[in-house]
Amino acid sequence: MYVRAVPPTDLNRNTEWFTYPGVWTTYILILFFSWLIVLSLFGSSPGTAWTIVHLSHFFVTYHFFHWKKGTPFGDDQGIYNGLTWWEQIDNGKQLTRNRKFLTVVPVVLYLIASHTTDYQNPMLFFNTLAVFVLVVAKFPNMHKVRIFGINADH
Amino acid sequence: MITIPYLTALTTYFSYGLLFAFGQFRDFFRKIFDWWHASNLQGYAPICLGLEDFYFRRLYHRIQDCFGRPISSAPDAWFDVVERYSNDNNKTMKRTDKINRCLNLGSYNYLGFAASDEYCTPRVIDSLNRFSASTCSTRVDGGTTTVHKELEECVANFVGKPAAIVFGMGYVTNSAILPVLMGKGGLIISDSLNHNSIVNGARGSGATIRVFQHNTPSHLEKVLREQIAEGQPRTHRPWKKIIVVVEGIYSMEGELCKLPEIVAICKKYKAYVYLDEAHSIGAVGKTGRGVCELLGVDTADVDIMMGTFTKSFGSCGGYIAGSKLLEGFYSVMMAGAIGKICPVIREELIQYLKYTCPAHLYTTSISPPAARQIISAIKVILGEDGSSRGAQKLARIRENSNFFRSELQKMGFEVLGDNDSPVMPIMLYNPAKIPAFSRECLKQNIAVVTVAFPATPLLLARARICISAAHTKEDLLKALEVISEVGDMVGIKYFPAEPKKLEQGKDTIKLE
Repeated sequence: MYVRAVPPTDLNRNTEWFTYPGVWTTYILILFFSWLIVLSLFGSSPGTAWTIVHLSHFFVTYHFFHWKKGTPFGDDQGIYNGLTWWEQIDNGKQLTRNRKFLTVVPVVLYLIASHTTDYQNPMLFFNTLAVFVLVVAKFPNMHKVRIFGINADH
Repeated sequence: MITIPYLTALTTYFSYGLLFAFGQFRDFFRKIFDWWHASNLQGYAPICLGLEDFYFRRLYHRIQDCFGRPISSAPDAWFDVVERYSNDNNKTMKRTDKINRCLNLGSYNYLGFAASDEYCTPRVIDSLNRFSASTCSTRVDGGTTTVHKELEECVANFVGKPAAIVFGMGYVTNSAILPVLMGKGGLIISDSLNHNSIVNGARGSGATIRVFQHNTPSHLEKVLREQIAEGQPRTHRPWKKIIVVVEGIYSMEGELCKLPEIVAICKKYKAYVYLDEAHSIGAVGKTGRGVCELLGVDTADVDIMMGTFTKSFGSCGGYIAGSKLLEGFYSVMMAGAIGKICPVIREELIQYLKYTCPAHLYTTSISPPAARQIISAIKVILGEDGSSRGAQKLARIRENSNFFRSELQKMGFEVLGDNDSPVMPIMLYNPAKIPAFSRECLKQNIAVVTVAFPATPLLLARARICISAAHTKEDLLKALEVISEVGDMVGIKYFPAEPKKLEQGKDTIKLE
């Protein structure tokens, strides 16, 4: 089964890989397989495993999408050094398909995690906090906003 | 258009994710260990921020032995590759004295001028004796010799333009000319897969840059219409000038540019065309005059033709050839510079560049022996040396490229590029296949160049093969055999191989 790859018009090598076919499926498959791994490693109930996956997903995506700035190579001479990965995607255009997909994934994970833990309290609080932070960070109005100067440029 | 098997795309993303995760873990622990030891920076700021060299340290260094291999002979069809070893897991490479004689599938040696040539080399040595290795001066001070004058005339005649200007380095030609031609208030529309030199030149010029989808004239028209209608950002005034930058053969794809359609669209919307013929000058076209001859585009329609001498002429340097139709171009620039309405001064574009371009005013001129090599190579190509070697070379490179490409495609490899193009990338995709392919080929004495992220998109790593007129049929057959074997081992035959001819013959006989 073949797919066609059309080179996008994005010159930023750090984000243009996200516009190729297969990325969404890989993302979902990684989440699913990490759930299986957590289940086999810790031997916990499925709900706890989903909570662990959801919270580690929160930490990883917050760190790489909304905290780290710039690009992992020096070719572009630092023109994106003030922008996080989320602000660089799609050249800064808001509400594209990729951004909508990335906003929906934490919400779906939250629903799965809370459903499988039967909405019990310690897990529910942390899950809700995680999804709230992630979704607010992805709003179009938060583009280039640094609250209280946290993570701003020098 | 690149066709990827879906499973390969998924596994490639997963591999890169794994490599990235490992790199991040190692960086994390490295930060903890370094926090214990005192740093020796003494209050100075670090040269790179933590994230900037991540790709270089954690991904590139792992397979560093596949890149930058030193060679110890001229880059002919067969050359000597120096063996290297590493004691610290590829962080530093040490050279040994041993060399491997390998088949060269990586050098840009399209017409075979990279090694000693019976017509060119004596003349180059003669010019070395007469003019010495460097002019030790800029063009405007004392660096313009008779060789330089002859070279510029020769290049202008070859390309089919009234005048040309020559620089010492091909990359510098693009990155120093674009800032001179365009400034703030101009619009540069460039193909999405343009070379880094064009991207850097465009960014340095201060003009607004828009990118159109690779080799898609309809998208170019859409972008042009949108931009002309909107005007400059924020003020919405009309653009001062619009230039469309395309390449003749794209070095990572081997594809030819759709020049006739693009030139037609640019004429319709009155935009200038800048054609970068780095890989196509001397290598395609019936008499080697590049992609304009091959596709039947009149050279007077292409406003600025740029090219390099590294690929087909066996030398170094770049040139810009311009047309007289650009009188309007520089008259606008002159009027803007003087700041008032004055009579339009009729000058050639090239003459204007000669007193504004920093690559002409402040850099050392091209080395005289290198210039003589280019002149001799052009004479051989045009047949002016009295033999038909030029025509033979052109025919041979065309035959070699078409033969090699069709054989690879029959074996089931995914090979990009159009017919007649001497550049053929073989798609690898997975990051682990890059060093596997490169090292296995080197073991069997075939030297290939593999290219990965960030020179190519993340998913589309490839091994780029450059065919030369110096390759004989036996060389190509050996290369095909080795690549087929390595391809089976590494698993890059993504398309089904065509059935062998013998079986097809049997079937037709049966039907009859």
